[in-house]
Amino acid sequence: MVTPVLMIAIPLLAAFLMPLIKKAHRYFTFSILLLNAILSVLLFAKVYNDGAIYETIAGFSPPVGIYLAVDNLSALLALIINLFATINFVTSKKDFKFSMLYLLGVTGATGIVLTGDIFNMFVFFEITAVASYALVASKKDEKAVEGSIKYMILGSVGSSFMLIGIAIIYSQLKSLNLYDIAARISSMDPKMMWLSFSFLLTGIGVEAELFPLNGWVPDAYEGASSNIASFLSFGPSKASIYAIARLLIIFSMSRTYELALYVGIATLLIGEVAAFMQKNEKRMLAYSSIGQMGLILIAFSLIKDTSYAIPAAFFIIVSHASAKSSLFLISGKKGFGGITSKYVGLAGVLSLIGMPPMAGFWGKWYLLMGIADEKMWAVAAVIIFSAVIEAIYFARYLHKNLGEGESEDLGYSIPAAVMVSVSIVMGILPLIYNMAGGVLNA
Amino acid sequence: MRKVVAIILASAFFAVLLVSFSNIQQADYGEKEYYYQNPINGSYANESVPSHYISNTKNETGAVNAVTAIVVEYRGFDTLGEVTVLFTAATGVSFLLYKTRGGKKRTEANLILKEGSKLVLPFILLTGAYIFIHGHLTPGGGFPGGAVIASGFLLMMLSYPKFFMKERAVSVTESMAGITFAFIGLLGLVFASSFLQNFLPLGDAGYILSAGIIPIIYIAIGFKVGSELSSIADKLKEVQK
Repeated sequence: MVTPVLMIAIPLLAAFLMPLIKKAHRYFTFSILLLNAILSVLLFAKVYNDGAIYETIAGFSPPVGIYLAVDNLSALLALIINLFATINFVTSKKDFKFSMLYLLGVTGATGIVLTGDIFNMFVFFEITAVASYALVASKKDEKAVEGSIKYMILGSVGSSFMLIGIAIIYSQLKSLNLYDIAARISSMDPKMMWLSFSFLLTGIGVEAELFPLNGWVPDAYEGASSNIASFLSFGPSKASIYAIARLLIIFSMSRTYELALYVGIATLLIGEVAAFMQKNEKRMLAYSSIGQMGLILIAFSLIKDTSYAIPAAFFIIVSHASAKSSLFLISGKKGFGGITSKYVGLAGVLSLIGMPPMAGFWGKWYLLMGIADEKMWAVAAVIIFSAVIEAIYFARYLHKNLGEGESEDLGYSIPAAVMVSVSIVMGILPLIYNMAGGVLNA
Repeated sequence: MRKVVAIILASAFFAVLLVSFSNIQQADYGEKEYYYQNPINGSYANESVPSHYISNTKNETGAVNAVTAIVVEYRGFDTLGEVTVLFTAATGVSFLLYKTRGGKKRTEANLILKEGSKLVLPFILLTGAYIFIHGHLTPGGGFPGGAVIASGFLLMMLSYPKFFMKERAVSVTESMAGITFAFIGLLGLVFASSFLQNFLPLGDAGYILSAGIIPIIYIAIGFKVGSELSSIADKLKEVQK
């Protein structure tokens, strides 16, 4: 029996159990993460065959109780998060508290994706954010602490904003259920609607690295150890951009989509230009992440207009989660010393700048198709311009690193190679388009 | 210059919020009839969520305290999440701060504090336990009860500089309480139909042995919050060399 709640309950139970079994904590955490990845495959198979799953919690039907709502896209995202978390965890060498925090962070991100209740989403945001603050600081040097503190201050202000937004919705509609809110949002006073929308967008935007709320991003990515930088780029950020997509569908006004489009364009341009100007490699990768998040937001802001939006966003998410995470994993050393890290660097960069046959290509392809359908030529020009900038600085990055380098650490580069292969597989199998095109009903 | 800009921005933000929140009062702030379609079985409900809580809590959960029923039963999943947030924060603090104990010299507390805390501690612990055991009957519950217990240990730390929590015992308590909560949830999945669902008899409302799984969960939360908050205080007291 596959139920989505197991993907949250089992890791939580495991995290509570961890202090008691200290010794084998790495194998234990790894097997729990693997179990979660397998569960999400089964869940996706079930959702793909039978349609969306709604699971009640505590036996009270939705407006009164909480429920989990899983559709194709959220099952796939849960799969991505848990799969990459499993691969990435191989590189962990720290004590059991690190494993606990890592497991909790992954569970929180999974919960954000699976839940169908806005306050529940907030709770999972808190879990993943609090775990990430500690994980970023896990290197315990000055830069790590600086990044962590910046992240923590912005993140906690962001969560309180999110809470106020939820409170406004509840005061008006007396409901916390996403489906219910979406059905009755039009009965809300437009002023209140905008107020709650802006609070929620600001709150989630901090985690989703949107402009102008992303001041923490370069410092946190630079300070964090390479596997945590990798975790940040496939875990919390992807879950929160998905939460923003759900938010856009709930509010579903043309003006909110427009606002999201502008925020996305600003994030894209500023991220890419900052990455272009940046000399430090990890910071450059971090700014490039910001740019990619902007691209995903642009894709999601077109949901209403074109059916290409969801596949576009999905492919960019896959490409970014796999390629950027693997680039972060091998970023600890100077240069790509061995053949494995050379392969990872090349494949990752190709996927990020959108070359066929990588997943990133399909993302940009569908996005441009969607934009061309809508005849928004200015947006298309911005995306192509940013792609050119991206290509230039990644060419510089490859030029600097592909030559001689320190000998590679296979413990890092092999997991990175496995991760980046996902990007290649997803590029070769554009059949996935059919799956990703499924409804994203909030 | 930056300060001036910051002050102007902050007051503009404040003004916007003031205007918008004053509008909430004018808009109808109460019950609205509506028809909500349940996405699972397609049925319609025409009662708003708050009024459902008010009129059905006692029958559905057996708890007299409606707040507890909402926190532990209706929205128990959120509470599991909130407990996890606290657990994550406590783990993060001990992960980052745990170094050495002792270190710099502390001034001894005066006689009144030392003797007084000995006298008061048992009563603080008793009050905390009372609050979380009676969570389904009287105001309070696991979170405030745990906080009261942690404040008792904090008082001991203030009056005796050499007082340290037994780390192993604290972390075992914390884990066992968390496991109890999650495990009861899974038992609900096995014996009833969904996670965290009540599978025990509800009993007579108003008695201490009533309301199904609520008292068990609240006792677990009380232990968990108490041990986590005291371990955070304990870790913050330690000196990093």
